Amino acid sequence: MNTHLHNYTYTQQSRLAGYCRTGELNSIDGLTENRVHHYRELVYNVVDDTLQSAFPLTFSLLSEDQWNEIVHVFFSTHECQSNSVWKMPYEFYLFVEQNDLDIKKKYNFIEELLLFEWTEIEIYMMPDVQYPVFKSYGGWLGEVIAINPEHKILQFNYPVHLKNPISITDDNRSEYYVLIFREKESGKVQFMNLSVYFAWLIEKI
Amino acid sequence: MERNKHVGVGFRKDFAEEFLEGKDLTPAFLEVAPENWMEIGGYWKKVFNKVAEQYPIYSHGLSLSIGSSEELDWNFLKKVKSFLQEYKIKIYSEHLSYSKCDNAHLYDLLPIPFRWDAVKHISERIKSVQEFLERKIAIEIVSYYTPVAAEISEVEFISSIVKEADCNLLLDVNNIYVNAFNHKYDAKSFIENLPLDKVEYIHMAGHEQVAPDLIIDTHGEPIIDPVYELFDFTVQKLPNTVPVLLERDFNIPELKELQYELNRLENICKKVWNYEHALA
Ligand SMILES: [Fe+2]
Repeated sequence: MNTHLHNYTYTQQSRLAGYCRTGELNSIDGLTENRVHHYRELVYNVVDDTLQSAFPLTFSLLSEDQWNEIVHVFFSTHECQSNSVWKMPYEFYLFVEQNDLDIKKKYNFIEELLLFEWTEIEIYMMPDVQYPVFKSYGGWLGEVIAINPEHKILQFNYPVHLKNPISITDDNRSEYYVLIFREKESGKVQFMNLSVYFAWLIEKI
Repeated sequence: MERNKHVGVGFRKDFAEEFLEGKDLTPAFLEVAPENWMEIGGYWKKVFNKVAEQYPIYSHGLSLSIGSSEELDWNFLKKVKSFLQEYKIKIYSEHLSYSKCDNAHLYDLLPIPFRWDAVKHISERIKSVQEFLERKIAIEIVSYYTPVAAEISEVEFISSIVKEADCNLLLDVNNIYVNAFNHKYDAKSFIENLPLDKVEYIHMAGHEQVAPDLIIDTHGEPIIDPVYELFDFTVQKLPNTVPVLLERDFNIPELKELQYELNRLENICKKVWNYEHALA
């Protein structure tokens, strides 16, 4: 972009933004030093609160230190792209999935747990999808079965949708399918454990 | 109960149900952040459609980041444009600040250095946005807790941008009270020195004093008396009648209490604006 902003002005802005993301302050001209921490706190709290309410299961699984560490690493190194703050947790999930983090060694199902929690939000908020014309009776044979289009099927190796995360162990490793869908009238999100066969069937519809 | 004429309220999910069911809160209009309500479906889309049928909607963006050095987000603006059109939204306001830097959103409003190059840069950006949206936008004076590398005064910074960009002004009276307190200047003379003919919209809110010399703009408390007083002063100075908004983002009280604040603001508007109408 043809910017009129001088490098000096940009640098001052970048240092303030950088401080808000990392907590590390590089000198900024004219700053009231004993007040600038409010910006870091305001910014960090929005991010932390948003992630805590998006991922309540993950938040309660981790210790305070583990949670703070992962949120800090995410926010200080990842460049958030979502304009809407409620979509930012998806970037957090992707960040955990794509990076080599200690927490993944301790909880090897954490990516799946995050994806499960995020998908509930995603389905709850997703734009309305036109329902196909359907009737509530009919035979399986010779007729097309209509399915609620506001759904997603996830495949997991751990039962993050069935068990309290703290009690999930390697013994639980298997193949799981979960259907997450939005009820048309209430807008509520529900999920359902599926057998392999049923998951395959729904995918085919 | 009759609806207010001038005073609206920021629409919050926290009180959506109670608001739609009851009659305790009767604002003139509702304000929303496009970022929270566009590209959604399901329950909240239904709620939004319902309120938009009953009330005029005004909008107050969060993530345009007009003060950033990077390219404007045209993809985002395209979505905003169709949201504004879909719901026939008369006002699109944004903050005179930056919330994105080095390609990362920060989800809060950071203070721009009051400098001439920033004036030029931001004015050009506002012009591009206005051209793209085919409407003027109202730019809000934000509260800030520390200056950053300033070379000109705040009032000169704001006035120059409004003039050069030919945009409107969103005057947040509480922000000016907060800034005047935090940076030790006189709020009334600050307001008098603004291009008041460009004011399209007013915001009012509560705040929290966190230290003897520092107020944080929380939108989590009721409006305090000195801010009502500054509002009364401002309304008398304005050449035009404009919509007024009560912002309450946290710590949301009984809706009756919000209505009490709306009424108090409405009464001030009526007192000044009806009197002037009577004179005209
Ligand atoms: Fe405001």
